[in-house]
Amino acid sequence: MSATCEFQAKDFKSDLKPIWCPGCGDYSVVQGIYRALAAIGRAPHEVAFISGIGCSSRIPGYTTAYGFNTVHGRALPIAQGIKLANPDLLVLAAGGDGDGFSIGGGHIAHLIRRNIDITYIVMDNQIYGLTKGQLSPTSQKGRTTCTSPYGSLENPVNPLLYVLAYGAGFVAQASPTDLAGMAATLEEAIRYPGFAFVNVQSPCVTYGEEAQQIKGLKAISESLAAIGHDPADRLAAMDLAQHYGSKMHLGVFYKNPEPPPTYDALIRERQAQLSQGAPPKERILDLFIKK
Amino acid sequence: MRKDLVFGMAGSGGDGIVSAGDSLLQAASAEGYHGVMTKSFGSQIRGGESSCRVRISTDPVLNPGGNLDVAVALNWEDFLKFGAELPVAGTTVVIYEAATGVAENQIPLVGVTPLQVIAVPIAAMAKETAGTERAKNTVVLGLIAGWFGIGGEAVMKGISKKLAKKSQELVEANQKAFDSGVAFAKSHPLKADMTIVPSASKGAVKLLTDGNDMCAAAAIFAGCQFFGGYPITPSTEIMQFFTNHVWKYGGAVLQAEDEIAGIGAAVGASFAGKKAMTATSGPGLSLKSEMMGLASIAELPLVIVDVQRGGPSTGLPTKTEQSDLFAAAFSAHGDVIRPVLAPTSVADIFRTTVEAFNIAEYYQTPVIILSDQEIASRKETLDPIDTSQFKIIDRLKPTGSDLQDYKRFKQTENHISPISHPGMLGGTYLASGIEHVESGAPTNSGSVHARMNDKRIKKLDPLKDRKDLFEITGNPDAPLALVAWGSVAGVCREALQMAREQGLDVKLMVPYLLYPVAEQTYRDFFVSVQKGLVVEQSHLAQTFKVLRMHLDLPKGLQSLARSGANPFLPGEIVAALHQLLAELQRSHEGKLQPQE
Ligand SMILES: Cc1ncc(C[n+]2csc(CCOP(=O)(O)OP(=O)(O)O)c2C)c(N)n1
Ligand code: SF4
Repeated sequence: MSATCEFQAKDFKSDLKPIWCPGCGDYSVVQGIYRALAAIGRAPHEVAFISGIGCSSRIPGYTTAYGFNTVHGRALPIAQGIKLANPDLLVLAAGGDGDGFSIGGGHIAHLIRRNIDITYIVMDNQIYGLTKGQLSPTSQKGRTTCTSPYGSLENPVNPLLYVLAYGAGFVAQASPTDLAGMAATLEEAIRYPGFAFVNVQSPCVTYGEEAQQIKGLKAISESLAAIGHDPADRLAAMDLAQHYGSKMHLGVFYKNPEPPPTYDALIRERQAQLSQGAPPKERILDLFIKK
Repeated sequence: MRKDLVFGMAGSGGDGIVSAGDSLLQAASAEGYHGVMTKSFGSQIRGGESSCRVRISTDPVLNPGGNLDVAVALNWEDFLKFGAELPVAGTTVVIYEAATGVAENQIPLVGVTPLQVIAVPIAAMAKETAGTERAKNTVVLGLIAGWFGIGGEAVMKGISKKLAKKSQELVEANQKAFDSGVAFAKSHPLKADMTIVPSASKGAVKLLTDGNDMCAAAAIFAGCQFFGGYPITPSTEIMQFFTNHVWKYGGAVLQAEDEIAGIGAAVGASFAGKKAMTATSGPGLSLKSEMMGLASIAELPLVIVDVQRGGPSTGLPTKTEQSDLFAAAFSAHGDVIRPVLAPTSVADIFRTTVEAFNIAEYYQTPVIILSDQEIASRKETLDPIDTSQFKIIDRLKPTGSDLQDYKRFKQTENHISPISHPGMLGGTYLASGIEHVESGAPTNSGSVHARMNDKRIKKLDPLKDRKDLFEITGNPDAPLALVAWGSVAGVCREALQMAREQGLDVKLMVPYLLYPVAEQTYRDFFVSVQKGLVVEQSHLAQTFKVLRMHLDLPKGLQSLARSGANPFLPGEIVAALHQLLAELQRSHEGKLQPQE
C-alpha cells in the first residue's frame, strides 16, 4: 500500500501532554493507536475519535484527529451519529470498562446489530480510575475496592463473550505487553469493514491489582496466532473467550470472513435510490396539498 | 346560516369517529373552508374511547373552538369521558345513537339543556344500507351533510377514493349508508338554521396537515440532514415523517435504542457538520438533559423538539399540557441558557422550526421547540406558505485565515467562533464536555471557566432584542392584557377578539421565544397594563413564575393556570377579563373616595 508511507506515528501525536499517572497502561494504548493510524494512511483530519468519560477517555485529545471527549458512557451513540452523517470519515470510539460496559453497556448491542463501521477500543483496567478506584463491571468477584470493602459479590462481565454473543464481526484483545501486536491488531480492526471491538488490557498502576500490572499480564498472556486459533471460527472464539480473567489471549478472536454490508453503506444505497426524481426540498409542503 | 361550526364526536375505538372527522375536514378543505381538527383518546391504543372535534369556518381559525355546535354521541359512556373536551351548551344540537335506549328527554348531560336533541338509529341504518355496522361513521357524515350543508359531494368523493382500492361493492355500500343519513336529516328538520355559508374560496389551493408532520417537513426544508430519536407519544410522527422523506435529500434517520442514544447520535451528526434534530416528549426530555448540556458546552447546533403531554412521569400520555417549560429552560447542570421557542399553531410550527434551526446554527447552541400534544396532532387547513421568504442560516465556517492557527472556541466580538468539522483540513480540534481553552484543550482553570461561561451565555443576548419573536395585538395602550403561548395562544387570540367586540380595552402578547426571557420586551408591553392574565396549562403556573423570576411584573398581573387536558375556552377567558375590569373600576372608585 502506497498510502502507508504517507503518515508516520508522530503525525498523529498532539501537543497536549497526557495527564495520566506515570506508568498507566493508557500510554501504551495511545502509542498503539498512533502506529495503527499511520499504517492505515488516512490523514488526521479525516479521522474522528470519540470517547466517553474516564482516565482512558482522555485519549482523543492526545491525537491530532478530530476528537470528541463526550459524556460518561455515550461515546458509541455519538460516534455512530458521526459515521451516519458522514460515512467517509474513519471513526474510532474509545473509553474505559466502566464507561463501556456499565453506564454505556446498553449501547454496544445496538451498534453491533446495526453493524456500523466503527472501531471501538475499550481500555480495560478492571477498575474505575478517574473516580479513584471503585468496582468496575470487569472487576473479578471477591475483589476489594473502596466500594466493595468486604469483597465484591458480583460476577464480572466478560467483554469478549459479551460482544461475540451480540454478533460482532470483529473481536480482538491486545495488551501493552506486546505493543507491536497491539498496533497490528488495532490496524486490522480499523480495516475491518464493520463494527470492530478491541479489548485492550491497560493496567491502572494507581488503583489496579497486582495481577493486572504488566508483570501479571505477561504471565497469563498467550498469542492466539501462536496457539493456531482460526479467527473465522466463531464457536472456537467463544470457547477461548471463556478464559477471560485467568488467561489473556491476545490477537483476533473472531473476524467474519464474509463481512455483511454495513449500516452506513446501506444508508448510502437507500439515499441514492430514493433521491432519484425527488422534488426539491423547497417543495416539501406540496405533500400537504389536498385536492 | 353560520360562518363557523364546531362538531364534537365520540365513540368506542372501532366506531371510526376519528376517521369520520378526518373525512369531514378533508371535504371541508376541498370545498374551500378553513378548519381544524383535534382528536383525543383514552390512553389505550385500540379499543377504549376516542373522540374528535372538528371546527369548520369560512375564516381562518385560531383554535378548536369553544362549546360544541353539534355533538355526536355513538354511546353516552364514551362521550361523557370527554366531558370538558367536548362541552355541550344550550346552543348545541345533540345527535346520538338511538340504540343506546336513552330517551330524548333523558340524555345524561347534567345541568345543560341543549338546543335540540335527536336520537338517530345510526347502527340500524348502517346495517340496513351497507350490511354492516362498520358504516356507522358514514351514516354520521350523511347526517352532517344533510343538516349542516357541509361535506356532501366532497366527503363521498374522498371516501370512495379510499375504498375503491378495496372494492367497488364497498364504495356502493357506503354511498347508500351516506344517502340514508342525508335522507334522515331531510325528513327531520332542525329547529334552527345551522347550515354553513358556502365558502367563497372554493377550489383555492389549501394545505392540510398536523403539527408533527409540519414540524418534520420544516426541518427538512431548513436543511436538517439527521434525526436521532426514540418513539414516544405524542412526538413519534415527527420521526415517521422524517424517515419517509429525508433520504431523498441525502439525510438519514436513526431509531435509536433509547432517548440518550437518539440525541447522542444527533449531537454526533452535528459535530460531523450536519444539521441535526431529535424529538421527544416529557420523559424523553428528562433523559436527554445531560446531552443538551454537552451540546451547550461543545457549542454544537442542535434542535430538540419536545411535544408536551401531561406529566410528571408517564402522566397523561395522550393529552396536552404546558408543563415542560421549567424542564426545557432549566433541566441542566451548571450555568447554561438554551433558547426555547414555542409555536402556536400548525402553520406556525413551520416558521418556528425553521427559526429554531437558524438560531441553533447561528449561535451554535441547542434549541428547544416546545410544541404540545394539541398542536402536534391537530389537523389544520392552511393557505399555501411562500417558502421563498424564509432565510436559511448555516453555521459560521472557518476560512483560510482562521485555519492558519485554528482555535475552535476563539473569543470574538459577538462570542461566535467559526466551527470546523471532521474532514476539514486544518480544522482539527478537540470538542469536549469538559471546560476548555480557546483551542479546545481541557482546562481546570476557574478564570477560563468564568470567561467561557460568559461567552456561551452572552452570545445569546441578541435574541432578546428580536421583536419578531413576539406577537402583540390589540390596543398597545390597553390597561387590560393577556399573555399566552403555545396552543393556548390560539384560544387567547379568539378571546381577545371577543373581548374587544364587547368593548373591553385589552391587548395580547404571544411570545414565540420563551427563553431567554426578553425582559425589555415584556417591560415595554406591561407599561400600560393595570390588570392582566398569564394563561397557561400548568398547575404550577410555570410561565408566570419564569416571568416573575426575571422581571418585576405589574401588581395587577395574575395567573390563570390549571393542569392540562381540559382546554381553556375563549368565553371563560373573556369572563375572567370582565372580572378584572370590574376589580379595576372598583379600585379606581376607591381612590376617588375622600381620605379620612
Ligand atoms: C453520568 C455520570 N456518572 C458518573 C460520572 C463519574 N465518572 C467519571 S469516570 C467514571 C468511571 C471511570 O471508569 P472507567 O470508565 O473504567 O475509566 P477509567 O478511568 O478506569 O479509564 C465515573 C463513574 C460521570 N462523569 N458522569
Ligand atoms: S488512575 Fe489508573 S487509569 Fe487513571 S491515569 Fe492513573 S493509572 Fe491510569
